[in-house]
Amino acid sequence: MDDAEVRAVLRAYRAGEPWEDTRFPEATRRAGADPYLARWWAHEQELDRIIGATLQSPQAPPDLKERLLSRQGHKTLRRVQRTRLITLAIAAMVALAAFFGSWNGPFQPAASLADYRGEMVSFVKVEPTVEMRSTQLSHVMEWLRKSGAVSQFEIPQELQKLTPIGSRTLRFRGHDVALICFRRSEGNWVHLFVIDRAALPRFSGGPRPQFSSEGSWTAATWLADDQVYLLALEGDRELLERFLTAA
Amino acid sequence: MSRPPAKDEEEAKKQASALEPRSSLDQSATAGGASGAVNLNFEDLVAEFYLSLYRFALSLSRSEVDASDLTQQTFFAWASKGHQLREASKVKTWLFTTLYREFLATKRHDAHFVGMEDDPPFIEPPQLSPSIVDAVDAAIVQKALHGLAERYRAPVSLFYMRQFSYREIAAILDIPIGTVMSRVSRGKAELRRRLGEIAAETARKVVQPNRGKRDG
Repeated sequence: MDDAEVRAVLRAYRAGEPWEDTRFPEATRRAGADPYLARWWAHEQELDRIIGATLQSPQAPPDLKERLLSRQGHKTLRRVQRTRLITLAIAAMVALAAFFGSWNGPFQPAASLADYRGEMVSFVKVEPTVEMRSTQLSHVMEWLRKSGAVSQFEIPQELQKLTPIGSRTLRFRGHDVALICFRRSEGNWVHLFVIDRAALPRFSGGPRPQFSSEGSWTAATWLADDQVYLLALEGDRELLERFLTAA
Repeated sequence: MSRPPAKDEEEAKKQASALEPRSSLDQSATAGGASGAVNLNFEDLVAEFYLSLYRFALSLSRSEVDASDLTQQTFFAWASKGHQLREASKVKTWLFTTLYREFLATKRHDAHFVGMEDDPPFIEPPQLSPSIVDAVDAAIVQKALHGLAERYRAPVSLFYMRQFSYREIAAILDIPIGTVMSRVSRGKAELRRRLGEIAAETARKVVQPNRGKRDG
């Protein structure tokens, strides 16, 4: 661990926080043994204290509490926000109605392929929000690597020919899921999910894609290098197979 | 799992208990959290959380009006859907999660989606001089914070609020805990770099008029 990494680790340090980063003991040891790092860390902590205190100083508008208590919040919403709320409510109701039978909720311990596929596909049926946006696949993969999600995987060759839209990470039963969205030539999206095999202990598939459909959507799942791949799009199997030539 | 040295933990707990009296709602949650739907008094909830929610909203939205709107939307959402929450101990996290989602939704709507640029190369910020540290005030910190990319701004802001563990921040932002830590680390470095620039710029503005008078 070089000095830069020590500083990066210590910057995220918070006393009293249960630590999951095994680099921390080494970083604190280095900071204790190196006078330069020790001074730097003391300075950082002092600055943290100042910044924390200043961020606690802004006061709310004097009438905000009164407005909240008079339950007028909804009356002061901007028109576009009201419209958005209504749109979101309708979308949520439609989504719930459509997927009620297949979605088991985020806290169910069972993790079958059907659970996983159902949750992931239902997530992208409404155009998902990506956390990063880039048309460069290398940038997308680099972002996934930095985000700590699954990032070492092979993207089917035909899929690589598409332009990526962006990426985000999801959580499924305590495991990270990497999602990359691509734009198809006709403008619609195709979504690639990758999750560690350990997240799906009952998964019995192999490298040959298994297809399933749900309404107008089709999904393919396969296993490679101990990672479960899920490719989904709105369309039929024939369309989906076009992107799986290298799977 | 590793833990920091016990001495640091003790010190931190003392500081935390001195700075942050435990929420009365958290205490009540401990007593009745498992008894089904949450039934909290709306006025108590507002009194307990509106200020911290407003401050979080202000750190995200850069505008007092938008921060007020976000705070109101959050409590409106609570009034509409709060009864669905089953554990009173999660009220605070629920409120902050809701506010953050409202912020993201508003931003998407206003900007028709603002794409997130790829990470620029990381540059270690220079250590701030004592004079700059002395000059740091709320306005400078807010300006520097608002200059951060959104993916850093929210975790850094929640980090400094000192009300949430990393696990809770991860839940609020819906990102893995490791991502929270790395964003906090990198966001804090970027914040320091911006603080240095803004404080130096502010100092120049203060000095220049005086020099002009002398020269003139």
